[in-house]
Parts: sequence; C-alpha cells; structure tokens
Amino acid sequence: MMTKTQQAKALILKFPGTNCDVESVEALEIVGFEVQLVPIALAKPEQLQGVDLVMLAGGFSYGDYVMAGRLAQLEISNRLGQALHEHHAQGGYLLGVCNGFQILMQLGLLPAGSLTENTSERFICKWSHLHVSAKNSPYTQGLGDTVEFPVAHAEGRFVAMDAALAEQYDEQGLVVFKYAENFNGSHAAIAGLQDETGRVMGLMPHPERFIKTKQHYDPDWADEHSEAAHGYTFFESIYNAITATKA
Amino acid sequence: MSSKAEFIHIPIRDLSPEQLLALSEDMKLSLSQEDMVEVQKIYQKWNREPTDVELEVIAQTWSEHCKHRIFSATIAHQKDGQAEEVKSLFKTFIKDPSEKIFDAKPGFVLSAFHDNAGFIDLDGKNAVCLKVETHNHPSAIEPYAGANTGLGGVIRDIIGAGKGATPTAALDVFCFGSPDMKQEEILAPDVIHPLGIMRGVVRGVRDYGNRMGIPTVGGAIAFDDTYTYNPLVFCGAAGVIEHQYIDKEMKPDLKIIVIGGRTGKDGLKGATFSSAALGEDSHEEDNQAVQIGNPIEEKKAMDFILEARDQDLIEFVTDCGAGGFSSAAGEMLSETGGNLYLERAPLKEAGLSSWQIFLSESQERMVLAVKEENLPALQTLADTYQTEMFVFGESNDSGILRIYHDGEIVCELDNTDLHEAPVKQLQAVFNTPELAELPTLKGEANLAASIKSVLADFAIVSREPVIREYDHEVQGQTILKPLAGATGDAPQDGAVMSVVNSNKGYAMGLSLLPEWGKLDPYEMGLASVDETVRQLVLVGSNPQKIGLLDNFCMGNPEDPQELGKLVECVKGIADAAEAFQAPYISGKDSFYNYFEVGGKAINIPVTFLCSGLGIVEDTNQVTGSSLRKEGSLIAVIGETQNRLGGSVYSRVSELEASKVSQTDLATNFALYESYHKVQQEGLILSAHDISEGGLAVTLAEMAFSEKVGVEINIANLAASEELSSEVALFSESSGRIAIEVAPENKEALEAVFAGQAISWIGETTKSHQNLVITSNEQSLISESIADLKTIWKHKLAEYY
Repeated sequence: MMTKTQQAKALILKFPGTNCDVESVEALEIVGFEVQLVPIALAKPEQLQGVDLVMLAGGFSYGDYVMAGRLAQLEISNRLGQALHEHHAQGGYLLGVCNGFQILMQLGLLPAGSLTENTSERFICKWSHLHVSAKNSPYTQGLGDTVEFPVAHAEGRFVAMDAALAEQYDEQGLVVFKYAENFNGSHAAIAGLQDETGRVMGLMPHPERFIKTKQHYDPDWADEHSEAAHGYTFFESIYNAITATKA
Repeated sequence: MSSKAEFIHIPIRDLSPEQLLALSEDMKLSLSQEDMVEVQKIYQKWNREPTDVELEVIAQTWSEHCKHRIFSATIAHQKDGQAEEVKSLFKTFIKDPSEKIFDAKPGFVLSAFHDNAGFIDLDGKNAVCLKVETHNHPSAIEPYAGANTGLGGVIRDIIGAGKGATPTAALDVFCFGSPDMKQEEILAPDVIHPLGIMRGVVRGVRDYGNRMGIPTVGGAIAFDDTYTYNPLVFCGAAGVIEHQYIDKEMKPDLKIIVIGGRTGKDGLKGATFSSAALGEDSHEEDNQAVQIGNPIEEKKAMDFILEARDQDLIEFVTDCGAGGFSSAAGEMLSETGGNLYLERAPLKEAGLSSWQIFLSESQERMVLAVKEENLPALQTLADTYQTEMFVFGESNDSGILRIYHDGEIVCELDNTDLHEAPVKQLQAVFNTPELAELPTLKGEANLAASIKSVLADFAIVSREPVIREYDHEVQGQTILKPLAGATGDAPQDGAVMSVVNSNKGYAMGLSLLPEWGKLDPYEMGLASVDETVRQLVLVGSNPQKIGLLDNFCMGNPEDPQELGKLVECVKGIADAAEAFQAPYISGKDSFYNYFEVGGKAINIPVTFLCSGLGIVEDTNQVTGSSLRKEGSLIAVIGETQNRLGGSVYSRVSELEASKVSQTDLATNFALYESYHKVQQEGLILSAHDISEGGLAVTLAEMAFSEKVGVEINIANLAASEELSSEVALFSESSGRIAIEVAPENKEALEAVFAGQAISWIGETTKSHQNLVITSNEQSLISESIADLKTIWKHKLAEYY
C-alpha cells in the first residue's frame, strides 16, 4: 500500500438538509484525503482552487420538497456560477452520492435522465448487491464483479428519455453500477453513472456507509470475504487515481 | 412584521369557586377548581387582576404535561384491602431509588431528572443520553403531523440537552388497534381506522427522521383494540456529548436568543390539550392543537447549535416544546428573572394576540442564553446555516418574568409565588384477580399449526415493511441493525451504535408488555425492566453500565381502579431497578388516554414502555440473534416456568386468562453477569431473547438467517417443574436467552454457568433446512424454515 501523504484534496459542499457529511468526511479521510467541509452559504468559486475532488454528500438538500436536488442546483449556480463545470473541465473529479447524485443530474454533469420516485412509492433502506459494469472507472479499481452497499432513498429510480437510451448508456460504458435486483425500477437497473471522462460519478447507494467490515449486516461477512469493505476500496480507488496523476 | 400588544385583564378576585372553574373551562385552561382557587389567592395577594397572558402561562406551567402532577400526587392506595399512602410516585419509586444507585456507581450517571435528557458516561470523555416522549393525542387527530412533530420534538430535546448533544439515533414505539379491525366495529364516527393511523404515523416518523439524518434503529408495535381510540406514539432519540458540555447554568445579564422556525398559530394549547381526554368532538375541535413539522428547519437549527457548542458560545439552551416560549424561555428565567419582548418574534402570519405568540407551539425553535459579546459570532453562524435568529430579551436578577409587547407589560409573574402547583390528592385501588395457575391446555396434536398461527400474529410478524421506510444506517454508525443475519432480514434484540472518535459504543433496548399488565401490573413492571436489561446485555452491553427510561401511558387517573394498576406497576419497576442496579435517568408520562363515547370511557391498558441504554465496551464484540454455523450447539439459559398468562399463544389459542410468570430478579441478573462474561470472551455465536411467542418463536427467528437447519429436544429444557410441550414451547417466562455456541466451547460455558440454569437442547445442521422439535422420541414440529419465514415476513406487508 502506498503511503498516504495527504496530497489529494477533497471538498464536500454542505447544503441545508445535507446529512451524510460526517461519514463522508470520515470515508475520504480514512483513505488519505485532506477534506474540507464547506457550508454552501460560505462557498466561493476560488475555494475550488487546488481541490481534486468535489463531493456532494447524501441527505435532503432544502428538504427536496420540489424535485430532489433542484434547489441545491440553483443555489450552486447562484453561489458558484460555473465553477463546478470549470473544475471538471480542468481535470477535477466530482462525486455525488444519493442526494449528491440527484444534484449532479440537475447540474447536467452526467448523461441526461432523472432520478424519480421508486416504483414502490416507498422509501427503501436496505443493502443491495451491485454489478460493477464499468471496469475502467477510476472509482472501481480493486472492486470485484459485484459489490454490496447500503441504499436509502425514496427517489432513486433512474429514468432516461426512454429505456433504450439507458441501455445505450450501458453499451457506451457510462453505467458504473447496476442493481443485481432492480428494486426501485431503474432503467437498465442503473445504480451509478459516470460521464465520458470518468471523472464525474453519481450513484444512489452509499459507499461511505461500508468502510469497515463491521458495518456489514452479516457478522460472518469478514470471515467469508478476503477483500476490504467495499466502500473503503471505492474511496481508495479514487484516491489512487488522483494521486497517480500527480506522481 | 412587527406585532402589537393584544391582551386583556380578566377579573377573577371576586369570582366564586364555581365561576372560577367555568372560566377555566371557557378558556380551556385545563385547571381544576382547586387550582383556580389557588390562582385567585395569588392575585388577591398581589392585589390586582391577571392578564390573559398570565393565566395562559400559569395553566401551561401547571399542566399535567409540564408538571407531572399525577406522578407527584399523594395517593391513598389500597392493595387487596391493605391501605397505604404514596407521597409522590416519582419521588418514592423512581427518583429516590435511582439516586441511591447513582451514589453506588460514582461517575456513571452524569446528569438526570433536571435536564432535557439524562446522561451516562461512555468512555470517560463522552457521554450518551436517551429521551423518550409521547405524542399520543396529536397522532390520534392527525397521525402524520402528530408523529412527525413527535419525533421532531424529541430530537430537539437532545439538541437542547446539556449545551447541545449530537442526536445519533432514534427509536419509535407504537400501540395501535388491530390492522384487520372492521370499520363498523369502531364506535365513534371520526376515529381514524388503525390502518390509517399506522400509515400516517410511520410516514410521519420516516419523513422527520430521514430528513434530519438521524437513523431510526429501534422500535416496537403493540396491537390492542382499545388503542384504536387512543393510539400511542412514543418517539425516542439518543445523543452523544463531551462531558465538558453537560452542565449548564442560567445567570443574570445573558441575552436570550431564539433560532429556527417562525411563530404561528399552529399548536396552540398543545400542553393543556394533551392533558385532557379525547372525545367524539376532539377530532373536530382540536385541530389547531397539532403542529406542522419542517425537518429541514430543525436540521439547520441543529447544525447551528452543534457548531455554536463547539465554539463554546452557549451558556444555556433548551427547546421550545409543549408550551412554546412560555415553557422554554419562562423556565429559563424562572430562577433569575428577566425581560422578553414579544414584538421581536418573527411571525408566520399576522393576527396573533400576545398570549398566542408566547404560548404557540410552532415547531423547530430553540431558545439559548448567551453572552452579549458572542452575539456577532452567533449571527455569523446563523447566516452560515441559513437559520433565523433574533434576540428575544435578557436575564436579570429580579426573580420576575416580565413580558413586554410593543412597550406594554402583558405579563409580570413573580415565580417564587408560582413555583409549586397544589399537590393533587388521588385514590387508587388494586385487587389481585383470581386467576388459574395454568389454563386448560389444547394438547400436543396441533403444535405445528400453533407455531404458524403465533408467527402470523400481529404481535410477532416481521416489522420489515415499516423498518425499511426508516433510514437506519445514516451516519454510518449502526453496527447491529434492526434487521440482520446472513440474509439481512432477520430480527435482532437491540441496536448497537458505534460512536465517532471512541472505541466504545452504546446499545438501545426496550420492552412493553401491555398484555401482562391486564393480569398483573406489578409483574409487568418487573418483566419489562428484565427484558430491557436482558436485551442490552445480550447484544454486548456491560450489565453494570445500564441506564433506564420509564414511560407510562394510561387512561383516566381519577378512576381508582385504573390508577391502582399504575401504582402496582411503578412498584415493580422500582424493585427491578434496585435488583439490577440500573437507575432511571429520564422518563415521561401521559395520562387521560381514554375516549368517551356513548357515556362510557374506553381506557387503554396501563402501558409501560421500558427503554434503556447500555455501554458496549467493544463494538467488535457485538452479538446478533441469527444462527451462523453448522454443527453449533443450542442452549437455553434460565429456567422455564409452568405459566402461560399474558402470552401470545394463550391469546391466539383463546385460552382462559391465567397467571403470568414471576420474575426472579436476582437469579436473572446473575445469569446476565455470566452471559456477559462468555459473550465478551467471544464464546457466543448468536443469542436471542426468549420473550413474546416463547421458545418456539425464538428458535424460528434465529433460524431465519436461513443458513442452517435446527434440531431441538425440549425434554432437556430446564424448568421449575415438569412442563407440557405446549408450555415449554410457548411460555413467555422472563430471564431466558437462547444461545448458539461452538461445541468446543461447551465446557467453558458450563464452568461459567456452574450452579445456574443452562440446558443444552439441540444443534444446527446442514443436512436439512427445517426446524425440527421433538420431546425425546416424540416428534412435535417439523417445518421448513423457509415456509415459517414466509408466514412471518409477509403478513404485515399485506396491510401496511
């Protein structure tokens, strides 16, 4: 394992209603990131200078009373203008988990589509097996063919203009994770998407909730699996991708 | 918008006692005639007439909801003809016994009975707290909003505990009418069907907890037809704080600030409303008493307070709950005195009179006392977290609460005269019912059918459809989850939470046994505490480090028969706390849960919710309730009694009422100490509490991880006397745990449990996937585990 020299910098934007920030900070720090948590009211475009990864964490930004992520997207435009797009254009990485994925969709940084109410019309909190579709993603190096993460959302069903377009995303290698059991009714069972560069990644499941093996529901998981907790590997993968480009 | 003073003086000094009572009823003050006479005396002494604001403040301060006057009452109690006098149930049976335990365990309980929640030490640096509240009346009228603000309120209690604890987990316990009740069986027109209540309540809890980002990790649902009219909604929240932030003190010359939501007409008179019975008109009349929740407003206020705490900007903080500003700011200033200015409160709408502003229970507001020099830093934080802040007034050393509204004094109360509400005098009686030792049994022919009907009973069926609607993993600290085991959907006995920056964690457990209370409320008290402690120790808590909470709900306390049951129950919980050396650190009560229809009162059964916090010394040493390995041995610790009273089996099989089991506290605690020793040594693979449904249900639930088949011989079960198979399988006697142990550890366990009841009753196998139960050679039950699981797992989903 390489030495962690805190050469990779991450910034988490916190909105009113963001509620997965503490565990997201922990997940980033545990793999080596230096992390800044910035409330949106204090966010300025110049803060993104020198930041490698911008993360939008889970929660209910502004309550998600209108379409999930919509108000956060407006507030980002208001406070940061095009700064996130420029960060991306200059080679920066963006990660959105759950509500963060919804916000990235609203920002137009990912293949077109939307995240809407689960077919069951219920909030669903459970663990989900995922197929790792995009083997080349900077976020999936070290993960096997399937991973397991907790999911917790009411509006996580990915729909594209039509189901065929979603299948096309898959063929184009834009789909990173697919639900093994498509419990929320997503097109092409999409759980996570990336853009063409691979540097923007959005997913509904919560890798930050599985960074230690004891977080798994099955007490025998660690004995029966040789690998690290899948969320740890996920964050380690993006850390390695960033530090590799700097080396 | 700035509001104008709007108040009146109400002449009371010359009224007769009857006129005073009529005034109380007119103004919906919920004050008794004796209370009103006392108020009149105070104003005669002060030589003036009260304002409406003052009467409302006094009514709120003296309300049952805020003062717990029934728990402080002097009760003339008669048990089986023996007279006794109880001077304050709270002091006699809760506070005094608990304080003895505090003294016996120095440094463990860090705060109790005076703050929003009690704190126990976690690791020498951090402390944990738990608070459970009820929101019964609002949930009966408006289930979604009632439960929504119920959880919001108890989370605010945690944010306002100490100088601001971090809320880390929630639990929710509900009592409903049966989901399959027929509409025509409901006796009053506006009463909402139990299904409507359940759906609304669950979604209310879901939308508050999930949006706040606080994992809902524990809970229970009890069903009984009487709860149709008075559903019970208990909401609880746990929190973590560093020791240095626990103590807070009000002083003169502090600024009183308010942050969070605005003040409106929602939630007027909730405190007095919840201190009265529901009736046929309640659904129409009392709508205004229910508040509207906005969890994001509370999330912003929470972010503000936790950051202000860490920057040491807070001298005192409390939440606006029942009674609004009156209870929060009023209580803060009750010792020092101070001035408040109502026109400074931002309003949701125009047209609030002075008392409405002061008493409104609009949600998501927190009141803080801060040093003047810290106001700019606090304003910066309010801007950062986008929450509204205003300076409401200041404390001084006058001892007088003065409230100004646009230049006029609308309320001026010297608290030294108001401190103590008159002590209530109540009557209670309890006559032990004549019950059979054992009901007439059905025989052994139908045991396979019986296990299925018990597993399909609403008391037992999986709560999965409800649990999955709650985010129980947010914050990433939920180590033992409400559903776990190899398939992730098997029930567990308690939740275990890790704590940021600590090696230690805490467990939450709970128990409520209303069926037992109908037969023997004293034994219900013992058994509920016993089950809570058992669950906490089972999952990995240190039995020496347990703090308990008591929450009571009952019908009409002025009915001596009803109050008698409460008195007996409270005696039980005092004895249990002493035996386990587990003190009460917080509690709450809710009365008048009865419904008047057709001139008759329908009371709920006396309901005691025991909940508890246990310190988990090592979060890597946590025990779940699902079978894990092939070839393990299965044992039961504790002795099974020849009793079926209060059991699910007894009810499902329609057996006549009979005696409940007796709880031997000392024996049980010794067992839990032994269990803890082997649990900490890693000798327990899995363990499940034997409670509702008895051993048969416990074994089935353990097998629902679907890893192994199970073979049991119940002839080996340790018992107080010879048991029929029915009793062995379905008795709910307390103090028992089923455990899974690797064969090579059997000897080590026997050494630790020497002289205690431990019976090796079976083993796990990969040769089949069935639950096979025999009594020696006789086959009793042989059922596919998958089939049993299907019955158990899907029943509630059909209704929910």
